[in-house]
Amino acid sequence: MALSKEVYREFEDVVGPEYICDDPTIMPSYHGVEHAAVIFPENTAQVQALVKLCNKHKLRIAAISTAWTGMFPPGLIYLDMRRMNRIIEINEKNMYAVVEPYVISGQLQAELFKRGLHMNMKGAGSNCTALLRGHGHLDQSTGGDDRNHLAVEWITPEGEIVRTGAMGSTDEWFCGDGPGPSMRAIISSAVPPGVTPGIFTKTAVKLYNWPGPSKWPIQGISPKYTLAELPSNMMARYYSFPSVEKMWEAEIKLGENEICLELMGFNPAMVAANITTCNEDDAKMFQKLNAESKGPGFFVIIAGNSSADFAYRKKVLEQIVRDADGESMKSLEDPEIEGILLCQCTRISASIRETFRPGGAFNSIPIMSQRDLTIRWAVGAGEAKLPLIEKGYIVDDGGAFFGWGVEQGHLGKTEIFCKFNPREEEAAAAVTKWQQEQSKRAFDESYFASLFGPISPEVSKKMSGFNVWWQKIVEAVDPNKVAPQGGPLV
Amino acid sequence: MIDKKKLEQIVGPRNVVYKQKALEEYSKDMSFVNQVRPACMVRPKQANEVQKIIRLANKTQTPLIPVSSGPPHFRGDTVPSAGGAVIVDLSRMNKVVFVDRPRRNAMIEPGVTFGDLIPKAKKEGIRLNMPLLPRKTKSVIGSVLEREPVLMPGYQWDISDPLACAGLYFGNGDEFRTGQAAGPGTIKQQWKVGGVQKAPYGPGTASLHRFIQGAQGSVGIVTWMSIRCELLPSLEEPFLVGSSDLDKLLDLTSWLVRLRMVTECFILNDTNVASIFARNVGDYRKIKDSLPPYVLYYTLPGYDYFPEERISANVTDISKINQRLGLSAEKAMGIVSAIDVIKAIQQPCEDPYWKIRHKGASEDIFFLTIHDKIDDQIGAMKDIANKAGYPASDLGIYIQSTVQGTSYHCEFNLFYDPESQVEANRVKGLSTTAFKTLMNKGAFFSRPYGNNIGAIMNRDSATLDVVNKLKNIFDPNHVMNPGKIF
Amino acid sequence: MGLEQYEDDVNICCRCSCCKFIPMQQIVGREYTYICPSISRYHYHSYSGGGRLNILAAGLKNGFNYTDRLLDIVYNCQLCGACGASCNYAMDMEVQQPLEEFRIKCVEEGQTNPALQKVIKGLRKTGSMVETQGKRGAWASGLKLKDATKEKVDVLYHVGCLTSYDKNMQKLAKATAKILKKAGVKFGIAGDAETCCGGRAYQMGYRNDFLKQAKKNMALIKKAGVKTVVTSCADGYHAFKVLYDQHDLKGNVEVLHISEYIDRLIKQGKLNLKKDLGLSVTYHDPCRLGRMGEPWIHWEGQKIPGGQHIFDPPKEYRRGTKGTYEPPREVIRSIPGVNLTEMTRIKEYAWCCGAGGGVIDSNPEFAQWTAKERIDEAMSTGAEAIVTACPWCEKTFNEAIRGSGSSMKVFDIVELVAKAI
Repeated sequence: MALSKEVYREFEDVVGPEYICDDPTIMPSYHGVEHAAVIFPENTAQVQALVKLCNKHKLRIAAISTAWTGMFPPGLIYLDMRRMNRIIEINEKNMYAVVEPYVISGQLQAELFKRGLHMNMKGAGSNCTALLRGHGHLDQSTGGDDRNHLAVEWITPEGEIVRTGAMGSTDEWFCGDGPGPSMRAIISSAVPPGVTPGIFTKTAVKLYNWPGPSKWPIQGISPKYTLAELPSNMMARYYSFPSVEKMWEAEIKLGENEICLELMGFNPAMVAANITTCNEDDAKMFQKLNAESKGPGFFVIIAGNSSADFAYRKKVLEQIVRDADGESMKSLEDPEIEGILLCQCTRISASIRETFRPGGAFNSIPIMSQRDLTIRWAVGAGEAKLPLIEKGYIVDDGGAFFGWGVEQGHLGKTEIFCKFNPREEEAAAAVTKWQQEQSKRAFDESYFASLFGPISPEVSKKMSGFNVWWQKIVEAVDPNKVAPQGGPLV
Repeated sequence: MIDKKKLEQIVGPRNVVYKQKALEEYSKDMSFVNQVRPACMVRPKQANEVQKIIRLANKTQTPLIPVSSGPPHFRGDTVPSAGGAVIVDLSRMNKVVFVDRPRRNAMIEPGVTFGDLIPKAKKEGIRLNMPLLPRKTKSVIGSVLEREPVLMPGYQWDISDPLACAGLYFGNGDEFRTGQAAGPGTIKQQWKVGGVQKAPYGPGTASLHRFIQGAQGSVGIVTWMSIRCELLPSLEEPFLVGSSDLDKLLDLTSWLVRLRMVTECFILNDTNVASIFARNVGDYRKIKDSLPPYVLYYTLPGYDYFPEERISANVTDISKINQRLGLSAEKAMGIVSAIDVIKAIQQPCEDPYWKIRHKGASEDIFFLTIHDKIDDQIGAMKDIANKAGYPASDLGIYIQSTVQGTSYHCEFNLFYDPESQVEANRVKGLSTTAFKTLMNKGAFFSRPYGNNIGAIMNRDSATLDVVNKLKNIFDPNHVMNPGKIF
Repeated sequence: MGLEQYEDDVNICCRCSCCKFIPMQQIVGREYTYICPSISRYHYHSYSGGGRLNILAAGLKNGFNYTDRLLDIVYNCQLCGACGASCNYAMDMEVQQPLEEFRIKCVEEGQTNPALQKVIKGLRKTGSMVETQGKRGAWASGLKLKDATKEKVDVLYHVGCLTSYDKNMQKLAKATAKILKKAGVKFGIAGDAETCCGGRAYQMGYRNDFLKQAKKNMALIKKAGVKTVVTSCADGYHAFKVLYDQHDLKGNVEVLHISEYIDRLIKQGKLNLKKDLGLSVTYHDPCRLGRMGEPWIHWEGQKIPGGQHIFDPPKEYRRGTKGTYEPPREVIRSIPGVNLTEMTRIKEYAWCCGAGGGVIDSNPEFAQWTAKERIDEAMSTGAEAIVTACPWCEKTFNEAIRGSGSSMKVFDIVELVAKAI
């Protein structure tokens, strides 16, 4: 949908000619969708002006940060937030940072490490914005999902600037809730199809203590970076267990005893992907680790505040693993590999190796909920992958799933994916079928609901009609319907 | 006005109360809000009764005031703002539905008090993240809905904690379940596969539990809630650190929380320590005189594995921090021992409630703030108090690190004799002045109550505008506690 | 096969944006984290490695519509290889090759850039990528160097267009000659007969012109019995070492950058650096010496059927791992009194100087902008000077410094070595 010259000029007047384009040439690089225009605002005031223009002209508008993925209908005013890339504040005493949308996690984390702090890192990778909600390897100690935001600056779909919580009342970012009921109820971003309408321009995120070095002592040349030395107060291990039950027993005890900086339920395929630098080596390494593994397992990083604290944590870790008949995977105790994993799994710099490298695409069922419950479902979903592996549709990962305890095991994330070549139609169809069947089973058996895509009346009814409420909220805050369904994930 | 018979049909005649004396109690509380007598009180037992009451209220435009805690009430939120209101007393809904040790979770109804839940949780090996010495009649759900600060900031990952999931009826009478509890299926179907209504977020983008918290019953009525619990330590060691330099104590607090060494962790001034631990006037003086101006309390926990070693490592590490700050951790401060504190704070307050024990009443001024601003805010409060003829030294101060150290709850307790009109008027005036001054000094009144609600809400009109839109969705006829926040 | 052979690669891009940043593990702060000059300057995703691949994927499917914008995207890229290096930290896919092939396709289909067209016209006429004034070998007048067109030489010093003709750059040739002489190397030059390596023409998309130049050069090399070609220009190094090999023209000749050769001579004890220069420097890795200077890998094979993206025989990707990084650093460290401080973006993830891919000719403003970014980064190290190993870098840096008023000095590595002898 092309903009008229007059309307185009109005948008151009806000950002300047260099920062707006409606040439179809660029659209293949914007998800292959014919957007009305791609625009680069520089600040909150410009975003506000652009949203108001969309209301005036009844155009739909959405904003992206790095825009790895997302859902974008055609005809959008598409805001690429690249120019809003500032770290506004790092408040060390009060443990929060304020960022604009195009600050990626890798940048913020690097600044935080220098200050002995860190943050929730989205599992998707440090190449994603630091602003959105998400889950990741460090959730055990940093929490996840929508629970790390403090105050948020949000341009409503009508173009009003809302600064939640303390920001709206006192110009401080330390709290995003109140006065009275919390706007964080609806301002949480990123779970399509119900992404919060409007645009986030700044967000304060909670910070956590970082017991590691101010920067990792990286050596070597890409793609193999290793650590020049391992910190004396940190240790990384991979443990496997004779059964899912035993693994869970150890996982929950580790959470309860509060000793892990990271507890990431990698499966051997994901570990293999992390520590190898090409697919051929990855396939071989998977076979090797799989043979070495006793069964399901997880990767752990412990870090002590002092040598005594570290010694205590190590002792507890080893005892808990022993009690659950777990075993450390010896190949991964090699200090070089331990270093690779320590760095990659705190910086979250190798997720692409786990997901896209093996086949070119992956299809996933992620669940953020009660961990023990979702594990029980995932065992079956994993078994259902085996025929696909046998037929060569998907990359062999032994039918594994993965996940981890969040907030020291209070909550959890479980995910299972199939890696495949998206250009092989049969494979793609088989993966879609698997995804649909396993999601349906989760729903029918009351484990959880996978809420990607349109919500049917049957699902709605069994889910407290949440989408009906959401629709009412959207209609209330977006009377001119400028916000599209969907939006950026990461 | 709702027809009496219709109410009786819902909850039974014995649970519809029109007695003037009973209603009188709900027409006022310990705050300075205007007195308005409700028309009646209903006491539902079942969730579906609540739904019927709400539907009826919608038909008749009758204000509903949900009340879950017993008296005395302090904040004015349970006093009707409009005539003809029906008090929905939820105290009969007092079941502890389950306590689940493996998942560290408990499901309760609104009438369950801390005193009811604590022993049941303890029996299973878990405990609550408590507010500071709640009164015995305080409902757990009430406290959580009010976003009361909790003593263990390290376990407060989100300001909504410890709320896990909630079952409620919105103001239009529709049922909703928040978080994991939303579905799929009924709660019983979820239980069948092992679901325990633990995850608070969703479903989908919205996390509506956040909108019912802080709403003072103006969005809907919660009929059950699951509460995130914490593991009961196998070993605990309490400590006290005293100082006249609050900044140093705040520094220590932030490290204790940041390094995740502690469970309970908070600061009280000498007045509040004395108010809590003194049983009589003599004690009060003695305790207060024995203390430094500020006392930081913390507990070091050890769990199932090698608890002594955890505590020992942390004691050593904390002593290094203390050395740097010129502080020292003690087992007793003046005539108050750390053991006294730990024993007290893990239970609701013994009667009489500490805030009214010595003078009869307390006006509480509380807000959220950050490290850099507290000193200035306390200074301002003391100045205002002194100017108003209220001795600053009588001011109770409670500082609670919140949400894993990202902010502080700062609370001033103005103890006074409610029988003395002079004292009451002084405190009332002082409270109004203080509120304005503190707001200008960056105090964030995230939980507005009483006569200041309007000024607080209106300060952020952009947020208020959106909040109003949401309110209109959930309670289109504004039957839920009208005149308070909305 | 051309661009079509990379259809799988352009389609496999997952739009992760890693091509815009230095490898995530190397990010040490908010600053100096971007790696691609093109998207950093022009913002649109289409100007990133991934965005360009997205456009190629769509074009391969639906055909190419050569709009002004498309050509702007194509030619405003230094083809510096940075996007590929960052991508290939995690992904098994070709990035640089399809981008180069598309330029070639554009040229073949007449979609040229006028400024570049003019340069190529000059090349066809004079054998040089820069304007010619005087004779190519004039800089060597009086130096009594061996003439490789007249006698056999083991070592041929290929000077390069810019160094030969640019009066400000001839000092590099003289310094190189001084160093080689001092080390007792029996080397020759082709003098006036030297012709362009063709590398820059290849970057611009003119493959046939490149091939012509390559063949001319290899004929000379063969005739003169050259065993080792030494270049002091990173473009030349890349052309002789990588592009000639890629096109099966290189034969057995050894190709060394002067920094590698000096490093070897020092280690062999043939060159002794004595003079204390008292200088704090930082080192800029020229793209075509560094990440793109790694050897060409000849591979032919097929994808193994199944979900996994693996090949028979296994395919080894050029990820910048084996670029020339250490020799120039070793040489700098060998110079008495020179203190080397690294910038944030180095080696395989170094930021480009701005000159590559013909951008210095097609869009000098963009080249300057890119160079200015690098000078800012160099300044942040506190060094007095930025040392490079390519005349194109030196030229763009000097121009950026002139434009910005910075006090940063620029040296080629041979200048420092010559001073220290």
